Amino acid sequence: MRKYLFIFKSELMSNLQYVFNIFVGFFGYFIMLFILFNLWKYMYSDPNELINGYNMSQMTWYVIITEILWMTLGGRKLCRKICNDVRGGNIAYNLNKPYNYIGYCLSGHLGSIAIKGLIYTVLGMIMGFIFLGNFPDLNIFSILAVLITGILATAISILLITFIGLFSFIIEDANPFYWLYGKVILILGTVFPIEYFPTFLQPFLTFSPIYVVSYGPAKLFVDFSFGTFASVLLAQIIYLFIGYLLCTLMYRKGVKNLNVNGG
Amino acid sequence: MLTAVKNQFKISFLTIKYALMREMLNKVTFITNIIFMILNNASFIVQWIVLYSLKDNVGGYTFKQVLLLWGMAAGTYGVSRFFFKKAFSLSEIINNGKLDSYLVQPKNVLLSAITTDVEPSALGDLLYAYIMLFLFGCTFEKFLLFTMFIITGGLMLTAIAVILGSLSFWFNKTDIIADVGNSLTTNFATYPDGIFKGIVKGLLYTLIPVGIINYIPIQVLTEFNLGLTLIVIGFTIFLVTLAFVIFFKGLKKYSSSNLMIARI
Repeated sequence: MRKYLFIFKSELMSNLQYVFNIFVGFFGYFIMLFILFNLWKYMYSDPNELINGYNMSQMTWYVIITEILWMTLGGRKLCRKICNDVRGGNIAYNLNKPYNYIGYCLSGHLGSIAIKGLIYTVLGMIMGFIFLGNFPDLNIFSILAVLITGILATAISILLITFIGLFSFIIEDANPFYWLYGKVILILGTVFPIEYFPTFLQPFLTFSPIYVVSYGPAKLFVDFSFGTFASVLLAQIIYLFIGYLLCTLMYRKGVKNLNVNGG
Repeated sequence: MLTAVKNQFKISFLTIKYALMREMLNKVTFITNIIFMILNNASFIVQWIVLYSLKDNVGGYTFKQVLLLWGMAAGTYGVSRFFFKKAFSLSEIINNGKLDSYLVQPKNVLLSAITTDVEPSALGDLLYAYIMLFLFGCTFEKFLLFTMFIITGGLMLTAIAVILGSLSFWFNKTDIIADVGNSLTTNFATYPDGIFKGIVKGLLYTLIPVGIINYIPIQVLTEFNLGLTLIVIGFTIFLVTLAFVIFFKGLKKYSSSNLMIARI
């Protein structure tokens, strides 16, 4: 475990050098949020009107949280890195290292996005307050619950993207699979809560990764309840296990067929 | 003069053709890229189905008009990224001294630099654009107008990328500014302008010309207007000329890094 903490720490320290880039990158997040804020302002003729159980303030905060989770993740970069590792043969250097490649990806990527996550969270909260002039009703416990589920959501997303990246063992470029995964999460999990979809679709979405990587933490932020917290946490633990298992199986199968030329 | 222009077009066409042939060497990856880009774009239809289940009209657009807006955004993006991919990494080319190899060629430096590579997935964007046009309702006139507007839009997006990328001739670290500027136009392009008000709406028709690239063409395709069509064409000529002027003004400041690279 200590070696993964060390990988996390070194990635974190190295990313401290790029704080300026993170602030400039935040501008993209600001624009996206600004567009969605305008969209929801247009859709709600009265801010107190309830659409599918959410008022305008709740919908905006929901989007702020899901966008923080999504924009912090840097999934495209992670997928591209894994694809390049497999295609370029770099993955061979990991075979004789005293760490597990999946653990390395998880701890390394968590370290590389930790500062970004912190900055986006603080600035996202400030932006939300400026847009809406209020915060949802929160207490210490609900804040902790959102933080815990937010970190677990990020870890699950990293594992799922690592799994997609490892598809490069089978098809040379796995990036297109990531685009599709990214769009599904973005459309079905970031812009709307599950309650916005037709009733027959809701059970499928509740059992899908969307529930654990975006809906769960955001729902707890806008409408906290102990029951929701328990079910989100349980689902996240199950998904964490499934994600790790899938990555390990794919990696083991892939390296068996690995053929690296050159030196 | 005309022969020089003709030769330049011929060279640019051949460069793009060979770049495409290079990408097609791995056919599975090439086709996967295109198909997945179409699916990637199509996934956004779900978002609009949900929004239109709440209201019949979003920002003054009907559902079919939003589909056409998506088609326009994908088409302009496709033209710019397929034919002029390198315009979007111009900062990196300038900062790393990679312009050297283009300076010794007896052709236009800017066109040579930005047409050396193609983005295969952008073909998926182009196909998606025409699928959206057919869903909107396609006639021969609309097909021609749509094609013209995705070309003018693609040229404007490329011109903006060249202008932002050329800032690297004068300043450091402008690659981040160029990336943010380029993503601005893409982000606004897929939402109806009716949801924005005041200064922002003004900006969309001036500083961030998404209005001229995307919104006006949708108006013209819905109801033909010669004046608006001419505004789009005029603004395209203005932006492209401005991009050339700024690039060549900056090029005078360019200093070689003695970088040795082989272009195959």
